[in-house]
Amino acid sequence: MQDQLSALLAKAAAEFPAIAARSDFEAAKARYVGPHGELTALMKQMGSVPKEQKPVVGKLVNEAKTVLQSHLDAALARIEAAALAAQLGPAVDPTLPSPDRTLGTHHPLTLVREEMTRILRKVGFTVVEGPEVETEYYCFDALNTPADHPARDAQDTFYLPEFARFGNVSKKTPNEKYLLRTHTSSVQIRTMLKGPPPIRIVSPGRAFRRDTTDATHSANFQQIECLYVDKNVTVRDLKALLDYIFVSLLGKDTKTRFRPHYFGYTEPSFEVDLSATHLPKVNKPWIEIGGCGMVDPIVFKDVGYDPEVWSGYAFGMGLERLAMLLYGIDDIRYFYQNDVRFLRQFA
Amino acid sequence: MKISCNWLQSYVDLAGIADDEISRAITFLGFEVEQVIRTGAPKLDNVFVGEVLTRDKHPNADKLSVCTVDVGPVQGVKRIVCGAQNYTVGDRVPIALVGAVLPGNFVIKEAKVRGEASSGMMCSAKELAIAEDATGLLILTARPAAGTPINDVLPAGDVVFDIEITPNRPDALSHIGVARELAAWFKKDLSYPSVSFTPAAIVANPRIDLLKSVRVDAASDCPLYTATVVTGVKVGPSPDWMQQRLSAVGLRPINNVVDIGNYVMLEYGQPVHAFDFWKLAGAEIIVRHAAEGEKIVTLDNKERTLSAGMLVIADAQKPVVIAGIMGSADSGVSSDTIDLVLEVAYFKRQSVRATSKRLGLASDSSYRYERGVDVHSLDEAAHRFIDLILAHAGGQVAGPIHRVGADIPWQREITVTPAYINEKLGFEIPAADQRTALESLELGVVREEPTENRGPAWTFSIPSWRDDLDRPIDLVEEVVRLYGTEKIPASVITAPGLVGNDDPIVIFNRAVSAALVGQGFNECVNYTLRPAKELAAWATPAAVADLALANPFVEDQSHLRPTLVSGLLESLKLNQSRGVAASRLFETGRVFIERNGQLSECVAAAFVMAEETGERNWRTRESADFYAAKRHTATIGSFAGIELERQPTALVAAPALGWQEGHAATAGNLQHGWTSTFGLVSLAHLKALGIAGKVYAGFFAIVSEKVTADADRRSYKPFGLQPAALRDLALIVPEATASSEVQKALTKVARAAVGNAFALEAVNVFDVYQGKGLPEGAKSLAFSLVFRSSDRTLTDDEVNVIFTKIQDELLKTTPYQIRK
Repeated sequence: MQDQLSALLAKAAAEFPAIAARSDFEAAKARYVGPHGELTALMKQMGSVPKEQKPVVGKLVNEAKTVLQSHLDAALARIEAAALAAQLGPAVDPTLPSPDRTLGTHHPLTLVREEMTRILRKVGFTVVEGPEVETEYYCFDALNTPADHPARDAQDTFYLPEFARFGNVSKKTPNEKYLLRTHTSSVQIRTMLKGPPPIRIVSPGRAFRRDTTDATHSANFQQIECLYVDKNVTVRDLKALLDYIFVSLLGKDTKTRFRPHYFGYTEPSFEVDLSATHLPKVNKPWIEIGGCGMVDPIVFKDVGYDPEVWSGYAFGMGLERLAMLLYGIDDIRYFYQNDVRFLRQFA
Repeated sequence: MKISCNWLQSYVDLAGIADDEISRAITFLGFEVEQVIRTGAPKLDNVFVGEVLTRDKHPNADKLSVCTVDVGPVQGVKRIVCGAQNYTVGDRVPIALVGAVLPGNFVIKEAKVRGEASSGMMCSAKELAIAEDATGLLILTARPAAGTPINDVLPAGDVVFDIEITPNRPDALSHIGVARELAAWFKKDLSYPSVSFTPAAIVANPRIDLLKSVRVDAASDCPLYTATVVTGVKVGPSPDWMQQRLSAVGLRPINNVVDIGNYVMLEYGQPVHAFDFWKLAGAEIIVRHAAEGEKIVTLDNKERTLSAGMLVIADAQKPVVIAGIMGSADSGVSSDTIDLVLEVAYFKRQSVRATSKRLGLASDSSYRYERGVDVHSLDEAAHRFIDLILAHAGGQVAGPIHRVGADIPWQREITVTPAYINEKLGFEIPAADQRTALESLELGVVREEPTENRGPAWTFSIPSWRDDLDRPIDLVEEVVRLYGTEKIPASVITAPGLVGNDDPIVIFNRAVSAALVGQGFNECVNYTLRPAKELAAWATPAAVADLALANPFVEDQSHLRPTLVSGLLESLKLNQSRGVAASRLFETGRVFIERNGQLSECVAAAFVMAEETGERNWRTRESADFYAAKRHTATIGSFAGIELERQPTALVAAPALGWQEGHAATAGNLQHGWTSTFGLVSLAHLKALGIAGKVYAGFFAIVSEKVTADADRRSYKPFGLQPAALRDLALIVPEATASSEVQKALTKVARAAVGNAFALEAVNVFDVYQGKGLPEGAKSLAFSLVFRSSDRTLTDDEVNVIFTKIQDELLKTTPYQIRK
């Protein structure tokens, strides 16, 4: 018996290290420990072993079983490792670029708009939207623009034909003409008509003017405007907002200043200049950046707010101009050409 | 408008105030300074008048002379080499002595010119930067004394401010108007021109009135008209000082009469006009509306056809002036004019504006009328006009001033308290300063009354030229203007909490952008206005017609956009043509689509994916296909609360327009608020555009008011923890059958078969096959069915029973076959 076991183990020790395939391994394993395996056969002989020899023989068989199992385990581990290794190709060249596409990019105007709305959000302004197609009332009348004002000319403003009908742009009076809004201030009117003060909104969006397109002008441009209506709003509050906005955007040594100006829907009205140290391609001490003022009482009256009770301010500026300043872009047309070399620079 | 600093000095003393200070003052008074132009001689030290004593030929140069020049008792006689030829001994010329610095930083030193010593330079006008003339020395024909500093002899330099006058301030379209503002700013007195003419001064003899009649037939457009005859004038050049002032502000001097008219306009802001009396047929002036088709050749030598309603000044036969805009070429003053009619009138701004716009003809005069002239200053300007004509063209007033029209009354008062002004400003300006500021603008306090607790209430009278001041708030602006808007104090934002939600449209756009950027798309921004030609590929001719603007500016921006895809294709093409790698682009924005017979403004997003990426890569990735476009479109829809893949989807119906028939689909319908199209862009269209490779695109639009914030908080649904049982089933169906239809039928049958025994968790297509082993015109759709019970492991047997039942039921109720 002992000899038989020794022979069997010797054979296994020679055989298993040579097995490469899993199927060969299973077959070999069956030849030893399967129902008809050699070890199994030897173990079956245990019944005929005399009783007094049983402990000795049993021990021998168990030892043989353990040794055989270690051959099996080693072979299996080797075969499995080889199988895993076979799944791999040669080592990668980690210096090759990934062929997968990179993240896309947000348009610089979106980046600047979102930065502005985040800054304004911190002081309670929420973003509102309004239609790009407007009517004369919301774009002009309600903003105190007289009927014969040059801004209303067909020379300066895009109109839709008389027969045009818009299902979801409401008119105030039936005979108004549709037009493309010349500023996003129309959104302020729609917001005020919707409900009572207090109101603190920012309205970004497209605006349109019949203008020759060149490096600094675009017939289609974008604005961002703020409106705040509450009790006891003052010129000083307006200045505080502008200071806050531009310090947030450009750093704490940024300064703003007001120059008196004229807008039909604010009184007093100002133009806003800013002075900042780190703007690229700027060689003037002050740069004009937007317009602002205290909401004219006429505008309040028109939307049904009592000007004796409510006061407010409005501020607006061109988004392209701001983006051009921030990034040092020198031609407004680049925003609308979508050259990917341009788009990829800002993300 | 251009404002001359020298001219301003006639009304306000600005001596000793630096140009930059004046420029700053104008800026902070509310008039943007667009340009500062310096004219005339700059300050020149060590440049004097000298008299040429001798002139001898240079021994070593043909074109040079060696001169001795007397530069007065202090400087003495100098020896100077000179190259000019236009002077003779005895002439007086400017001499720059050693140490002088001429414009251009040219320093005069002791020098030797071709071996001859020279201690200075004889100067031309160009070398002194007072004129362009460089042909020779500036000969001082007035023969000022030798040794006189040159600045005492040359015309003083001027500083001209080109400023932008806001439309609310027509009063500032004049030198007096700007001077008034500066006087207030610098706290100086304003002195008006002294006008000596009065109607009473017209002498009785000779009091011949040449004008037979002055009649206004259109009083609504011309409320006040004045005409005065001056006889015996002599037309010639206007005085030097006037020519200099006019030249400084950009007007070419013509003759004394024309120049004086311009001068009065730029002084008072009141346009005036002078006729040659003898060119007025019938010696009549009629202010009337033009007859339709009436013609006039204007001063610029162009024939203009007038229409009814345009206001003209006519003689007995024809129009001689388009009122307030421009006179006719042949009624003007010429060198042989001797008798004048001086017109000073008030025309309504609406009338001038409408005519000017209609004719496309504008002038300094029409610009002022359009913005509004002060009718109450009209007489003063008229008298000033007469004064200057008599002084500089001679002649005498003949006959009375014809004055047609009623006086227009003016009285306006505004009552305000300093407390109100400070409340609006949010900071304190002392009451006395407020009052001084307003008074310096010639607003007079006519009453002062105490109030209970708000200090004095002042009632100010508003001068007639300040029609823009109407309410207390308007005075707030005047006070802060003169206080200095630069001095508005800083503060922190104080505002009660007022936090709403951003508009759902904004939230939608942000979500779409974030998702697509995450998928490698570059965000684009295209113009809203598109050319009709481009839209023809994306909308029917009728729809394109509805999108047209009434007054486009340029042909390629004539229509509202109904889609974002066309713009993205344009961007793609631009990149391809520039050799720039670009494959995935997107845009969010408004579009305009027909809905129920009207246009609807929609919120939209679109993307394109080009097969031709424009760059080569060492390892190729699978390129996009229809189903990629479908997924991205569904993603966009999901941010608007639309589950696109649960919606009926069909191939785009003919005409597929810009889309490729059979390879693009639509889901949704704008009648129900939203629409989407996705798939392959028409290959023919791409070819026409010149875009290389296939392009897949997706477009989603939703009526703007239908975008709502997803406010519902989801509630938890329990999910089974037991193992799932899977069965696969392949069905043979006609090839045109939509998979969604088969899936729907299968799901229905399976649900019924399962009943309440356990749950049918999912039915998914996992294979689509067509070809060998299947009948012609058929395809196989393989579905995997997932069953699960919430409380036990399902046995094969119980699942098999149900699975068999499903197959039997399918064969019974549908035309589908089961593929074994």
